[in-house]
Amino acid sequence: MISDEALMLDFQCGSHPAFEQLFARYRGPIYGFFRRRLQGDQRAEDLTQETFVAVIRASARYEPRALVRTYLYSIAMNLLAAERRKQFRDPPPGELAPEPVTNHAPDAALWIREALERLDDSEREILMLREYEQLSYAEIAELMKLPVNTVRSRLFRSRMALKGHLEPEQKSAEATATKGVAQSVKLTRAEGEAI
Amino acid sequence: MNKITHPIAPEELMAYLDGELRADRATATAAHLGECAECQSTVAGFRGVSQILKTWKAELAESDMPQAIATALAESRPESRNVFPAWRSRRKNWIPRWPAAARVGAVVAIFLVVLGTLRFQTGLTGNVFSPHGRPVDYAVVNQPSDGQGETRTFAPAPLPPPPSAGPVQARDRHRLEQFAKLQSAPQVKFSQDQPSVERNLVAGPMIIRSAQLSLITKEFDKARANLEGILKRHRGYVGELKAGGSTGSGRTLTATLRVPADQLDATLTEVKTLGRVESESQSGQDVTSQYVDLQARLANARNTEQRLTDLLRNRTGKLSDVLEVEQELDRVRGEIEQMEAERKTMSNQVSYATLNATIAEDYKAQLQVVPPSTSTRLSNAAVEGYRSMADGVVSLALFLLSTGPSLLLWGVVLFLPARLVWKKVRRSFVS
Repeated sequence: MISDEALMLDFQCGSHPAFEQLFARYRGPIYGFFRRRLQGDQRAEDLTQETFVAVIRASARYEPRALVRTYLYSIAMNLLAAERRKQFRDPPPGELAPEPVTNHAPDAALWIREALERLDDSEREILMLREYEQLSYAEIAELMKLPVNTVRSRLFRSRMALKGHLEPEQKSAEATATKGVAQSVKLTRAEGEAI
Repeated sequence: MNKITHPIAPEELMAYLDGELRADRATATAAHLGECAECQSTVAGFRGVSQILKTWKAELAESDMPQAIATALAESRPESRNVFPAWRSRRKNWIPRWPAAARVGAVVAIFLVVLGTLRFQTGLTGNVFSPHGRPVDYAVVNQPSDGQGETRTFAPAPLPPPPSAGPVQARDRHRLEQFAKLQSAPQVKFSQDQPSVERNLVAGPMIIRSAQLSLITKEFDKARANLEGILKRHRGYVGELKAGGSTGSGRTLTATLRVPADQLDATLTEVKTLGRVESESQSGQDVTSQYVDLQARLANARNTEQRLTDLLRNRTGKLSDVLEVEQELDRVRGEIEQMEAERKTMSNQVSYATLNATIAEDYKAQLQVVPPSTSTRLSNAAVEGYRSMADGVVSLALFLLSTGPSLLLWGVVLFLPARLVWKKVRRSFVS
């Protein structure tokens, strides 16, 4: 498998297939990056496109000192910051868009999002970059302009805090599920007895 | 209550799960996890949080490349991009296959070819790389130092504007050609001298040349005007110029002239025609080794600066370490600036030779043939008499004022004893 950096260098030489391969690799992760941090999937798609357009336009300035992945996420973070500033100045009207698909119940995404929102901004960003974007501590440190040890300690704090936020919700969700199962068993037994 | 101490901190357990622990610590953590139920529970907690978070998925349906990206991709021109990475990516395919000796040989061969080419070019072109300066006109600031002499400070001034457009007379054609030649000549700037000096360094030794010349001339004013003309012709400039003299002796001009090194001999020959040579000397100082040493130290310092900059950019660490690196970077940058200034000064000294010229006037005393008139002599005598009388009165007044009080005091003190003595003397005469 050709490395991202080799593909980027080939693209600098004018190879469009190299860029298409990079696009195929990172389209989903970059979309997920925006989708989990913004309301609305259309805006996330737009920003994903803007990220790749920025990569095309700035490809001449790319130097293989950093990983392509870090380079892409740094562009994405800049676009996200600009988007948040824009939303702060001019909040979008209308209702919230549906949350992304989850394997659990439809409100699971909302539950996780609410738990994440209770974290400190910087700690939440570090946690999400680690859990969802699967970046290493060094890559996160480079993106956030922080020392690696600071990243590690903030990640630890955020995981401990999130665990505390998620556990009560999890217990109540499990309790609700158990109650539902007990009720259905009870109903089945009653039906059996009636028969 | 007993408090259990664990050899592995919870933060390290998290780093172990993330695969971010050093190998030795990871081994120790794995061994500890096999024994400690509490740490196993902590790790399970971390894993649980990660699994819950992973349930929040944000997937994008497969589709073709969006139009905006396809358009940007089509508009991107590969020829406008940096070609260096392309060369580097191609290089990866063949360079590593070369043995180290072949690579070193190739570098040496390229260096020799470049060196040979530069020598060849320098030999062919001659004056092309010689450090010619732009002819300098002089803005003169008069600073009279005494009644007879003056000191002039010369500063480079811009060239005069080009001749106005119009029918060009045949006699003016030569001037126009000269003017165009002067305009195309390089500026007197150290930065522009640098390439020529560096080529000289490759071609031969670097010599700081200087000369001293002492002349005596009967036509001082003409010699001075001619000196400025000689400087203009040889694209030199005046570093310092002093002219002075007093009644009853000849005038003297002392000048420090800077001329392009390759023009020094021609300039000396012309300056010698301005009068009779009293003394002449020339000297040269070889600074090739100093210059090479300076260049090497400069290159080393720049490499160090680059490494420190990379260190600051790429490494993370304690604040004290970062501050230490920044202090070191400041020190190295200071050294670079100092060495750069030395290099420029040395280049200038090599490019421009110094000529210390002294021109003295051959003075001839002249007789005053016309005596003053009688009326003038009478008038002068009357003025002198009045001035003597006034001076006498003022002198007496000054004497009385300065010594009068002392005389009065001593008169009072000595009056009675003197009177007694006088009486005794008179009595003795009477008896």
